[in-house]
Amino acid sequence: MMRESAHIVVERNTTWEGEAASEPYEVGWAKEAILFVQVLAPAEHQYPAQVRVQLSPDGIHWCDEGTRFDLPSSPGDVVCARVAHFGGWLRLAVSMKKSVSTRVLVSLHLKG
Amino acid sequence: MERIDPSAFRRAMLDADPKLSRFDPMSRILSFDDFDRGFCGWGQLVGNYEHTLDAMLPGYAQHSQPMLSSIPHWDAGSHGGIDGTYALKIATRPSKGAQNCAIKRMTFRKAGPIRVEAYVAAKPEANELLLSATDVRSFGIFLDLQSMASTGPAAERVMPHLRYLNASDGKLHQTWQTKRNETAFVAIGDTGDTVSHYHLSPEGWEDLPGGEDSLCYNELPTKLNWTYLRLDFDLESMTPLHFQCNEKVFAPDAIGSIRMPAMKNLWGMLNFGFLVETDSDKRAFLYVDSVCISAEF
Repeated sequence: MMRESAHIVVERNTTWEGEAASEPYEVGWAKEAILFVQVLAPAEHQYPAQVRVQLSPDGIHWCDEGTRFDLPSSPGDVVCARVAHFGGWLRLAVSMKKSVSTRVLVSLHLKG
Repeated sequence: MERIDPSAFRRAMLDADPKLSRFDPMSRILSFDDFDRGFCGWGQLVGNYEHTLDAMLPGYAQHSQPMLSSIPHWDAGSHGGIDGTYALKIATRPSKGAQNCAIKRMTFRKAGPIRVEAYVAAKPEANELLLSATDVRSFGIFLDLQSMASTGPAAERVMPHLRYLNASDGKLHQTWQTKRNETAFVAIGDTGDTVSHYHLSPEGWEDLPGGEDSLCYNELPTKLNWTYLRLDFDLESMTPLHFQCNEKVFAPDAIGSIRMPAMKNLWGMLNFGFLVETDSDKRAFLYVDSVCISAEF
């Protein structure tokens, strides 16, 4: 049987400010995931915000998976995180500094 | 030896296949989409843009890709599909009036009758311990079709739209609706090549005659029951032939279509879509267990 594979654009041209998160996505069929964040418009901040991979039992309540990475501030820059053994749901959460926002393209590459 | 009736033999073969027996396909099955085998070509309806994503109309900007879902719930665990684990899940964002849809894009090789059949269920996100029966505003089905170039000056783009208006502003309506009026086109970008129109907009829907329909909602947002939908359309006359929801069958002339002159680059387009809309600040979900698209050609 050919393995299932999907490229999912979870957020497209979405503004992140304050406490923000990507829309919940069901990934129960997949065994591995790479989460990409591409910055479309600059995040004007001196200290980069931390993006956190989150898991969920139900798509409603969320906890940190432990993987974190810095949100880049230059348009076009891409960062990614590889995760496995994540259960049924994935999303990315970020805590932006006050009065700072950024526009992002968030995608998941899933294989199962 | 007695000759076997080909149509009876074909029906017997369909009936012997547990996956197809619950459908009534026309003579050629163009696709059978069981979401235990992946997305089967159902994806996002992305809006048109030029140069920048900011040019996309807001209606399209809210759209996202469907998911493969085991239909998991916090209180009852995974619900599953009719005969497998996964269904296609179309989810809105959590704000009143938000919409989403999934689309499958094909073209046709002969202008004849087509049929789309599906088993679907609409539910709100189960984030309150309440019945939540008025949280989903609507769900529905639409086609986006264009005549082949050989049709000549009579060529049209035709978009049959049907939705079940479950509730509006917290009040139950439970009525099938259709749409006939063209949504205004907007120029996108500066090259003159691209236009866009948000045909799923909340405006312009009208009740189908006799459209009242009490569907099975069940008693919690985490209990769902599958509903059968069928839409037949003739690609030659560009007219609807049949719309059915479970036992209820509607007169073909009651089914409206948005109609417009043919566009310069959409010849022979055969697109199928499902839509869902929320009436509350919580996500609305349309689950699609399986879809069978067939044609009489």
